[in-house]
Amino acid sequence: MIDLINTLQDGIAQLQTWLYVDVAQPLLFALGLMGYDEETYDALYWVIIGMLQIVVMYAVLRPLEALRPIEPWQDRKATRVDILYTWIAKLGVYNMLFFMLLQPWFDRLQSLMAIHGIPNIQLDGFWPGLSDHPLVSFLIYLVVLDVAGYWYHRWQHRFGVWWELHAVHHSQRQMSLWTDDRNHVLDTVIEAGFFAALSLFIGVEPGQYVVLVAVSNVLQSVQHVNARLPFGPVLERLLVSPSFHRRHHAIGYGHEGTRYGCNFGVLLPWWDMLFRTASWDTTPEPTGIRDQLPAPEGHLRDYGRGWWAQQFRAIPRIAMRMRTTLGGAR
Amino acid sequence: MKLSLVGSFLASLRPRSWGGFFIAALLTLPGFAVAAERVIVLDSAEAQLSLIDPVTRKVVDTLPTGKEPHHLMITPDRSSLIVANSVSNSLMFIDPRSGQLQRRLEGVDDPYQLGFSPDHRWFVTAALRLNRVDIYRYDGRNFTVSKRIPIGKTPSHLNFSSDGKLVFVTLQDSGELAAIDLATQTIAWRMPVGNAPAGLWMTPNDQYLLVGMTGEDNVAVVDWRKQKVVKRIPTGRGAHNFRGLNDGSHVAISNRVSNTISIIDYQTLTKTRDITGLLPGPDDMELTADRRFLWVTFRFARQVGVIDMSTYKLVDTIRVGRSPHGIYFANRAPLLGPNPD
Repeated sequence: MIDLINTLQDGIAQLQTWLYVDVAQPLLFALGLMGYDEETYDALYWVIIGMLQIVVMYAVLRPLEALRPIEPWQDRKATRVDILYTWIAKLGVYNMLFFMLLQPWFDRLQSLMAIHGIPNIQLDGFWPGLSDHPLVSFLIYLVVLDVAGYWYHRWQHRFGVWWELHAVHHSQRQMSLWTDDRNHVLDTVIEAGFFAALSLFIGVEPGQYVVLVAVSNVLQSVQHVNARLPFGPVLERLLVSPSFHRRHHAIGYGHEGTRYGCNFGVLLPWWDMLFRTASWDTTPEPTGIRDQLPAPEGHLRDYGRGWWAQQFRAIPRIAMRMRTTLGGAR
Repeated sequence: MKLSLVGSFLASLRPRSWGGFFIAALLTLPGFAVAAERVIVLDSAEAQLSLIDPVTRKVVDTLPTGKEPHHLMITPDRSSLIVANSVSNSLMFIDPRSGQLQRRLEGVDDPYQLGFSPDHRWFVTAALRLNRVDIYRYDGRNFTVSKRIPIGKTPSHLNFSSDGKLVFVTLQDSGELAAIDLATQTIAWRMPVGNAPAGLWMTPNDQYLLVGMTGEDNVAVVDWRKQKVVKRIPTGRGAHNFRGLNDGSHVAISNRVSNTISIIDYQTLTKTRDITGLLPGPDDMELTADRRFLWVTFRFARQVGVIDMSTYKLVDTIRVGRSPHGIYFANRAPLLGPNPD
């Protein structure tokens, strides 16, 4: 097993070196961008990890979906657009971009704080020698970012305009291993900005941040899989399981747009238990948004089939929400 | 040997315990076995350092550091090696021979590069992320902030004038070389020097300052008193960092894009040789006391290499962590003049 891990690590290292030395570095040198030398080399590692994630997800989760499906799919094509979302998101493009864009501003802020004698926040620095151990600090950041993720998700369901963006994610009525990354690009940008800013504020380093994102991505992909994967009563209370999260996607049972919701947890169900929004009912129910259903239940609203359609159709919905909100205010 | 390790272990368990320190100190006195020397390599992307047996050239241990340790520096009394954790904003003091932890110092902002002034009064850090140079007053043990100086973009490498009056700093993304007056603790001057300047090396009698141009393929020769580039020595693409070869006339420079090391004659200011056949990303170097072997970190290959300086061939490579950067061992050839580790 150790040999296998070492072989895999060697393979990743060789690929990273090859991509860097033969592709990225000559380009940086030619463009006069050698100031980004080290960062680019480090970032390549995570791009490779992102690609591997997709391969592993497909190799492990796809057979499970075929062998142990929770629900039969009526229209396989409807799940394919989610694969495109996954490639964009899993390579960490948004997150890396935001981290890079925000980093100089936070560094400037940190520098000003030091000059004016304001203590710097390093969440993992409270117990030097223990809390700054890579694994321990990783777990600390994971928990802190997860509680923030819980509230972020609740707000996505709480505010109308925001919900219309998040509705792109919920509009997939055939959940699959690819569904996690199906999000409105604006929603992804806001989310990446929020978490990158929070991470910088509490002292997460870029390398560790990408690992946190990578771990979170894998677990969230598992949560959306269309396969029976019982976690059991103990593990289910430690980690968000596919059935726990599927409940959140269930029309009427898990959410009702902005009016009701349960099981908002991102990786850990602890916050749902703490704030009393947990539902442990695992009965499979139709997933999606009530609006998509035919009358009399819904309005047969079309949220779009392709990537562009799903992105653009959010705009009139947001406009309608704003009109309603402003009309209500008058 | 075993007793010494036990003492160090006790000390590392309870770094503030006088008992632990006492036992560790006692066991390392002459008469007791002395800790085996290790080659210490910082793995900046993995928050750890690798300890290599210099004889067998095998990694014998890895120890956790803070986040992104890039560079290291021996204290003036040679009792500690300082590992600068740039993202953790901390310094770690370790035994220069064994690599074992002695103490930590928190609250040192972004210590990417570091150095002591030749008169040992000042400890200076280049805060690469924060675009700042910080000056600390040093009394032999304690570091007190004296001045934080905002400066151009990404200050990366430091060097001093031999009289301790000036600290020089390369500003990687500003393409400049700057000098800070340590008496007034203000920027004395800044001058353009080229694309992505990095390592700094002072020739004897403080005549010229050599600057490795990582965004170019040369070493800039700077007459720093006149603030003028007087010559460019073609070396290789990505010229980065220096190590004096202690032979009275040569200094090595790593070329991070060409993947070579050039040997420069600092008397004639010409390149005399290229060492080729290396791995990607040669970066920091260290020379054995007998000048026989040049150890080098290969930043983009996860390896440390050993070059036989009699044949100029890479004779050994040692697998370490991701992004190996700073390297040190106690039994090394002396440094020339004010030049840093």
